[in-house]
Amino acid sequence: MIELPVLDASPESADPTQNRFWRSISQRDGSGEFSRMNAGEFLPGASEGPLSENGSGATRRQFIQLMGASMAMAGLTACRKPVEAIVPFSHMPEDRVEGVPAQYATSMPFRGVLHPLLVSSFDGRPTKVEGNPDHPDSSGATHLFEQASILALYDPDRLGSVRHDGAVADWAAFRSFVSGLPSSTRIAVLAEPTSSMTMAVVRRQMEQRFASVRWVDYHGLVGNASARGVAAAHGRSMRMLHHLENARVILSLDADLFGSTAADPVAAAAGFAAGRDPEAMGGMNRLYMVESGTTVTGGMADHRLRLKSSEVASFAAAVAAKLGAWSGDAGVHASHAWVSSVAADLRAAGANALVVAGGQQPAGVHALAAAINESLGAVGTTVTYHDADDAANDGAADMASLMTDMKAGSVDLVLTLGVNPVYDHAAFGDVYGSVANRVHVSMHMDETASAANWVIPQAHYLEAWGDGRSRSGIPGVVQPLIAPLYADAHSDIEVVGLFATGSDLPGYDMVRATWREQVNGGFEATWRKSVHDGFAVADGWNTVRPSISAAGVSSAVAALSLGAHSGIEVVITPDPKVFDGRFANNVWLQELPEPTTKVVWDNVAMMNPATAERLGVGARLNGGKYMADTVSIEVNGASAELPVWIQPGMADDSIHVTLGYGRSIVSERAVRSTPFFDLDDYTDVYGQGAVASGVGANVAPLAASGVIVTASVSKAGEGYMVASTQDHGAIDAPHVGEEVKKRGLFRMATVAEYRANPDFVKGGEPAAIKEDWADYPTLWENAHPKDAIEITSSNYHANQWGMVIDLNTCTGCNACVVACQAENNIQVVGKSEVARGREMHWLRLDRYFVSGDGSSYDDPQMVIQPMPCQHCENAPCEQVCPVAATVHSPDGTNQMIYNRCIGTRYCANNCPFKVRRFNFFNWTKTLPASLHMASNPNVTVRSRGVMEKCSFCIQRIRGANKVANVENRDVRDGEVVTACQQVCPANAITFGDLSNPESEVSRLRQSDRRYELLAELNIKPRVSYLGRLRNPNPNLA
Amino acid sequence: MADFHDEAPLVRGGLKFHDITEIVSSHTEKKTPLAWYGAFSLALAGLMLLVSMIAYLFWNGTGVWGLNNPVGWGYAIVNFVFWVGIGHAGTLISAILFLFRQQWRTAINRSAEAMTIFAVICALVFPTIHVGRVWAIYWTLPVPNQMGMWPQFKSPLLWDVFAVSTYFTVSLVFWYIGLVPDIATLRDRAKTKLRRMVLGVLSMGWTGANRHWRNYEKAYLLLAALATPLVLSVHSVVSFDFAVSIVPGWHTTIFPPYFVAGAIFSGFAMVVTLLVIARKIYGVENIITTDHLEKMNIIILLTGTMVGFAYITEFFVAWYSGVQYEQYAFVNRMFGPYAWAYWTMMTCNLFFPQFFWFKKLRRNITFMFIISIFVNIGMWFERFVITVTSLHRDYLPSSWDYYTPTIVDVLTFVGTFGLFFTLFLLFLRWLPMVAVAEVKGILPEADPHFYDHEGDGHGAHHDVSVSAAKH
Repeated sequence: MIELPVLDASPESADPTQNRFWRSISQRDGSGEFSRMNAGEFLPGASEGPLSENGSGATRRQFIQLMGASMAMAGLTACRKPVEAIVPFSHMPEDRVEGVPAQYATSMPFRGVLHPLLVSSFDGRPTKVEGNPDHPDSSGATHLFEQASILALYDPDRLGSVRHDGAVADWAAFRSFVSGLPSSTRIAVLAEPTSSMTMAVVRRQMEQRFASVRWVDYHGLVGNASARGVAAAHGRSMRMLHHLENARVILSLDADLFGSTAADPVAAAAGFAAGRDPEAMGGMNRLYMVESGTTVTGGMADHRLRLKSSEVASFAAAVAAKLGAWSGDAGVHASHAWVSSVAADLRAAGANALVVAGGQQPAGVHALAAAINESLGAVGTTVTYHDADDAANDGAADMASLMTDMKAGSVDLVLTLGVNPVYDHAAFGDVYGSVANRVHVSMHMDETASAANWVIPQAHYLEAWGDGRSRSGIPGVVQPLIAPLYADAHSDIEVVGLFATGSDLPGYDMVRATWREQVNGGFEATWRKSVHDGFAVADGWNTVRPSISAAGVSSAVAALSLGAHSGIEVVITPDPKVFDGRFANNVWLQELPEPTTKVVWDNVAMMNPATAERLGVGARLNGGKYMADTVSIEVNGASAELPVWIQPGMADDSIHVTLGYGRSIVSERAVRSTPFFDLDDYTDVYGQGAVASGVGANVAPLAASGVIVTASVSKAGEGYMVASTQDHGAIDAPHVGEEVKKRGLFRMATVAEYRANPDFVKGGEPAAIKEDWADYPTLWENAHPKDAIEITSSNYHANQWGMVIDLNTCTGCNACVVACQAENNIQVVGKSEVARGREMHWLRLDRYFVSGDGSSYDDPQMVIQPMPCQHCENAPCEQVCPVAATVHSPDGTNQMIYNRCIGTRYCANNCPFKVRRFNFFNWTKTLPASLHMASNPNVTVRSRGVMEKCSFCIQRIRGANKVANVENRDVRDGEVVTACQQVCPANAITFGDLSNPESEVSRLRQSDRRYELLAELNIKPRVSYLGRLRNPNPNLA
Repeated sequence: MADFHDEAPLVRGGLKFHDITEIVSSHTEKKTPLAWYGAFSLALAGLMLLVSMIAYLFWNGTGVWGLNNPVGWGYAIVNFVFWVGIGHAGTLISAILFLFRQQWRTAINRSAEAMTIFAVICALVFPTIHVGRVWAIYWTLPVPNQMGMWPQFKSPLLWDVFAVSTYFTVSLVFWYIGLVPDIATLRDRAKTKLRRMVLGVLSMGWTGANRHWRNYEKAYLLLAALATPLVLSVHSVVSFDFAVSIVPGWHTTIFPPYFVAGAIFSGFAMVVTLLVIARKIYGVENIITTDHLEKMNIIILLTGTMVGFAYITEFFVAWYSGVQYEQYAFVNRMFGPYAWAYWTMMTCNLFFPQFFWFKKLRRNITFMFIISIFVNIGMWFERFVITVTSLHRDYLPSSWDYYTPTIVDVLTFVGTFGLFFTLFLLFLRWLPMVAVAEVKGILPEADPHFYDHEGDGHGAHHDVSVSAAKH
């Protein structure tokens, strides 16, 4: 406290004789009453507290001092001590605006190629992945794994530190271990094939440093049958690219072209959609599907043939024989009704025909497909071959010989780079222990990590520098957006670089060095542009045009069985949600409904009703939940037990199971336990260890001899609860299809019907709407809220947002569901809550089976319909909310005001589309801290007890409004892109301003295929659908 | 010549004024019987169960109930409508029957009104606790606030708030006004100072003066007139919760009368259930006689048949409308996954009351007790059928699901019976369970003119035209 001497009335001089003037004797004497009165600033008693007379009270000053100090201290305790030092930029980056996300181009390495991306970063925190619209191999779209990969970055179960023999170690310890390795060490490296140029460089360096480096391309059970088949047919290894946009007739041999497990689903869906426009020259393309399971591709097919996967080879041979592409055994299906029709149609299409075989089919089928494409002249139009300088090795054979050597002790060190062979390679775990040094690089403490003696945390692709090539070979840079969340995390190239040199090499330097080699002059400019754009302006892989080798085809086909298959076949495929298990710890994907079964949090044994009946198994509903029997599947002594899922439309005696489940990832987080009255332990999906652990069963042991195998299947148990987001409580309702048709929900016609009656969708209108609406004025029509002055005078009123979804191109691939989840902070609720019907997805894909219309109950067609909030103009939800928590915006969207909502759920009851989602529990309360970083800061995180639903990505609309406002112009058409629209590979979703007659969405609303759901309720949805068209072959009725 | 006055006397056993005072008052004055403590403990345990279930709900969230995405309303709303319906009988007996000069009502109106109030309290619990964010429930009230927000007046839930709170207030005031003369009687008989003081305050200085009686009669008449439309309006408004929506099976114009009839139906059944027991235990069989019960059974038969007619009408309309959603909703009720609930409802509500066509059966105490229990069950299921089966399968088959209540749902419902009986037992213990003054008014002695047939007092001193014609 500052002393204020000026006011302190101490006498100027103690010596009274110095005073020239004096007022009284007592002043002059400096004694008695005067000096007492003169001692204080004020007269005695004027400024003291009541007790000051006896000297014990506080003075006015002391009082102020004490009060001031206690106020200051009281204020300080209310302030939380800032944890982070917040300092201003010494140099503010150019164009940086707080709260406005920056976007960076990068790429996700997946399945050997780069997937070009544009990633949003909020203040240094990546939150959302989009396709890189500038990249020639991406139209700005992605598939679902790219979308979900952002969550993997923040996965709370990521391995945080180097482990040595189970104990926590650090990178330095590992570095000294590696640098101390003698050059005589015989090393085996198991890694996925990669297109990284830097990896190729460090790999060569590593091979120079050690005497023996054996590099094995690890394909897992995903395999590389396609590459091997093509190599066999043409006599050399090549990359094959399909160009569906050029295809008029497509025959898919068990290939799920558009599903997430396809090699190139984004390009395939985009190409297919391009050829699907009924208005385009030449009309619509035609897709024939031969498959044993049910896939989204099968749902899109104009003709679909149910055939066991083990008999697809003979079907391929029959078609090839018919087309003259194969002169050997035409197989058991040579006289199948389909063969001649399909062959004729393919031949008619000629160069515009395309035959594709599925990844699970053996190489011989791929060779036959290559032969057919060659004979049709399709190579160059619908199929191109490229020289990617890689070898189509038989991964299974390489692994077998490696395992023999490991067992024999002729391998000193095995390095597994991001792969997990203990989990997904049968018997690998048995020989793994016989290698002295087992180094494993992984993002999780997974199955291989538990058996390894060095475990190195792998960096996420958004944390480390890298490079590679996209599907067509365009080189690109993988640019990190964030420093590794865990200091020990290193990328594959850094680990291999350490092996190559014995010392740390930053990934950035390595990648730059590699690129410097390849650039002629002006490196810095080229480098900067490549990093900025995410790719270098360079040609892709060279196109090659090798001739077909009949002998090669013959020898490949010789390995096939072209006879009829008896018994029960089991087809083991990568899972459409968690792939081969690498995404199993991603809750978005675990809770993503499987596209055709809508099952979540499990893998199931899918079979058709006839097969289930033969096996004496089934599923029954108990309180709306599926209680399934389980089956034991035995293949050559290995067995797996899975719950049964009855799926109409599959081939008889074919059972499909998917990889990626039955994981055991070790989590370090404490198991959440709560008192009996607290359900936090139940609502915390992360509360019981790693989320992947204990979900489903591992089917990899079944695949020891292949992925299409004959198995003995028997009933093992019953009462296993399977959670599905659809058909809760409708398994026994065969009339559902009839109801869907009567209600006009999904309207479809053949092209011929469409030509004859372009207004076919009107025929699908339920009866009520056939009367004139003028006879039934709306209740509030005269004073409709949309005409209220506060609506019409708003600046937002100029735009009226609407959406059109084209059912003709939507494949139901699920990418939009994950994109929506990532954009809108949608929480995950776990298996038991989904089974209770409480999933939170704002956008769902409704799946219906269609029988009748030329398909039977056993062989139904499957259709998928995306269902976001329809943003009804006369929204039934708005009228019933007692607190006005859901209201219409001036720009025509139906909005949820979360902090106004009290949670009566009346709106959800009154929503005819049932798109509203209620927070039955507080899903965000228990989220691990790292996952908070994955949230989009522009979207409110909802708490318990409030309703939520699709907002048309209102945060993106408002973002565009702001920009337009600053630039003093109208919002341009295409400026607002919803998350679902942005991700859609098929461009099936169009969003825009309905009040702008020039906008794309207005144009599409003019389509004669347009209809609105439940229009007869006069709710006026803002989402329109375009009816599905099928293009069947008239000769194959 | 027909004799309009040939009905049996309403009070049996030749009871005099003082006997009635004695019989009714003694229960509030004597030492509390052990059995009361037993029953009260049981009820209190139920109340504690309710409180703990609500605490559990508030702590964890609405997810502890069995609700899901298509079925946003379950037990809570079913129980709400059930309890509000129960309440209707009391108001009907005390207000409408009063206006219609049905003097037999005097024996039962007090307990029926008490039941109304306690049932409405039980009902009010549910809309309050069923919301997701209970701490913001007051936003449904038009309270001026710093947010500058009013409730949304188009919402039937808001109409509910007004309708039910008005109903509760009027019922409570009506009941209390009716109690004043009887409380004064108790006060005059009180032996302890505390009792005298409490009852003295509650009786508001009642002395039985002519002026007091005049004001009392007027107030009672006015409140009866005020309560009468509420009997119709409250359940009509409750039915709007459903009827105003667009859910097939809810969106039905027949709902208001159908709900009112159902409410009276269930309310009378509950009155019969309670009084059959209470009159026995409290020895008031001469005041609440079999004749009274028979009259209530006739109303149960009437309203039960009306409700049954409404069920059948709904089906007809679903078919006749040609709306496929409506048709499916009703077919689904009969044959869908909740067919068991539907047929339970039909059996209990339409079939069982038909036994009351037989005089012997409707005067049989045991039989009517059993039937009344069935009606209570049936009416609960009616609300379940309406609420849940309509929601669980509506427009888009992709969203169809099944609703299963959790143990918390069930125990909360059980707990409201604890609340109800706690209040009811307190009422029986501390207040006169029969309207003493009113019953005295229908004794023959109350009729000073002794019209013909020695005068049973039935309607005579009001029905001027009849008595005039006779003379």
